[in-house]
Amino acid sequence: MSDTFVFFGINIPIIPVAWLLAKILAVFGGVMSLAAVLTWAERKGAAIIQDRIGPNRAKIIGNFRLFGIFHLMADGLKLFFKEDLVPQHVSKTLFWVAPLLAFVPAMMGFAIIPFGQSFSWNGYTFHLSVIDPGNGMGMLYPMAIAALAVYGIFTASWASNNKYSMLSGMRGTAHMVSYEIGLSLAVIAIFLQAGAYDPHEIIQAQSGLWNVFAQPLGFIVFFICAFAETNRLPFDFAEGESEIVAGFLTEFSGMKLGLLWLSEYIHMITVSALIVTLYFGGWSIPFVANPGPILSIVAFGIKLLFFCWVFIWVRWTLPRFRYDQLMFLGWKVMLPIGFANLILCAWLIYRSVA
Amino acid sequence: MGIVVKKVDLTWLDRTYLWPIAKGLSITLTHFLKQLITPTKKRRTVQYPDMKRPVLDGYRGLHELKRHDDNSVKCVACYMCAEACPARCITIEAEDIGDLNIHQGLIEKRPVVFQIDLLRCIFCGMCQEACPKDAIWLRKNYELSCKSRAEMRLGKFDLMNTYAVEDRKSRVNRDPNNPTFFKQ
Repeated sequence: MSDTFVFFGINIPIIPVAWLLAKILAVFGGVMSLAAVLTWAERKGAAIIQDRIGPNRAKIIGNFRLFGIFHLMADGLKLFFKEDLVPQHVSKTLFWVAPLLAFVPAMMGFAIIPFGQSFSWNGYTFHLSVIDPGNGMGMLYPMAIAALAVYGIFTASWASNNKYSMLSGMRGTAHMVSYEIGLSLAVIAIFLQAGAYDPHEIIQAQSGLWNVFAQPLGFIVFFICAFAETNRLPFDFAEGESEIVAGFLTEFSGMKLGLLWLSEYIHMITVSALIVTLYFGGWSIPFVANPGPILSIVAFGIKLLFFCWVFIWVRWTLPRFRYDQLMFLGWKVMLPIGFANLILCAWLIYRSVA
Repeated sequence: MGIVVKKVDLTWLDRTYLWPIAKGLSITLTHFLKQLITPTKKRRTVQYPDMKRPVLDGYRGLHELKRHDDNSVKCVACYMCAEACPARCITIEAEDIGDLNIHQGLIEKRPVVFQIDLLRCIFCGMCQEACPKDAIWLRKNYELSCKSRAEMRLGKFDLMNTYAVEDRKSRVNRDPNNPTFFKQ
């Protein structure tokens, strides 16, 4: 068996390409199914936090309920078979594009995250992230993609041609853009600490001490801004039943609504993965030098699930901020703290070098 | 004069917001863990079709027309219940079952038609109070649903059978030919 095959006159190496396809499938399928499970986890978690029972009625094959996990299948089926209603007054093209614009950037952000330790086999090196290290973008890539998420919400609200949706889009855009600055400032401090953009190198740099202990201030800023980026409580300004109906979701139905919903959960997963990679050592396990691919994937999964759970937990604990409080927090608190953290970090590095 | 609302003075710890948020998170976490280890039966939610709360004594649910041991109806068609009923939901038509004498236990009538319109009934229990023979009881079945108005109009034998399964009695669909209770 030759190592390459010719496709339209281009020599394509089989094993790296097959590995790339396998990674893409695994990440896409993994993130999608995790997002679906999170919709269930959110409902069930909310119920249990509030001393309720939560969804437990859906059952398949006789009386097989399994804590209501089949509700997510029922929900998905329902969304697929619902009438795909397009109101008369919407902008037809944008109305179709908006769910994709929300969904694709949420999905793309995960591509850079290393979800396990790289390993070699038969002369090849296999990296457990969809985009291999040394690509020159590193952690700038998820930041750029996260910025694109604004377009999903804003396109959805603009296409809806509805005052409430429009207000929601304005609010969502304003707060996502404001909090991106705090987010980026926290990440720059990480770059300084690690001396690299690349997530693989950032994880390597954390082998001694996780960044959450090295930069607690930066972690707090990043964590809070991450909540704002995912559009979840306490910063869910794009929605709000009491003020703007369902916000940018108002006119959507069927699987378009499903995609917009799913993209929120995928955002949650991606941001959790970012938190894990930047502040909690990614796939590394404390006091284990070389965990190997399987153990490292398990460690990454546990950390990821924990932070997804934290997102749900915080959502059902905190009330929402008022809009001016949100802007106050973003511009007058997060921005100065982010700068302070950056300068402190730079000064500490300067001290240690000099 | 208006009420002076005392402003809450926040300490510096509260002003950081992080500490109060941590407190709130710990509250929800304790609720979460507590609810997680509580067995289903001890939770506050009664999962209705699977679990039912015990019905209290004195509850007035679906009626039953009581019967004698030989499955003949206790009702003597005296119209007391129909008169007492504030909702006018009871319809009775009487029938002669012989002459009044001591051998028959002083009974000469029984209902041919005994109909209760459950859609009109207000479950006040006046019929039960009024009945001289203890022939109508309001018992504890509260699951009264059906698919048409006609089904909600229960006749004499329907009313005699309402609790047949629960009491392990046979279902009645006709009056016995030779009522033995006459020879009491």
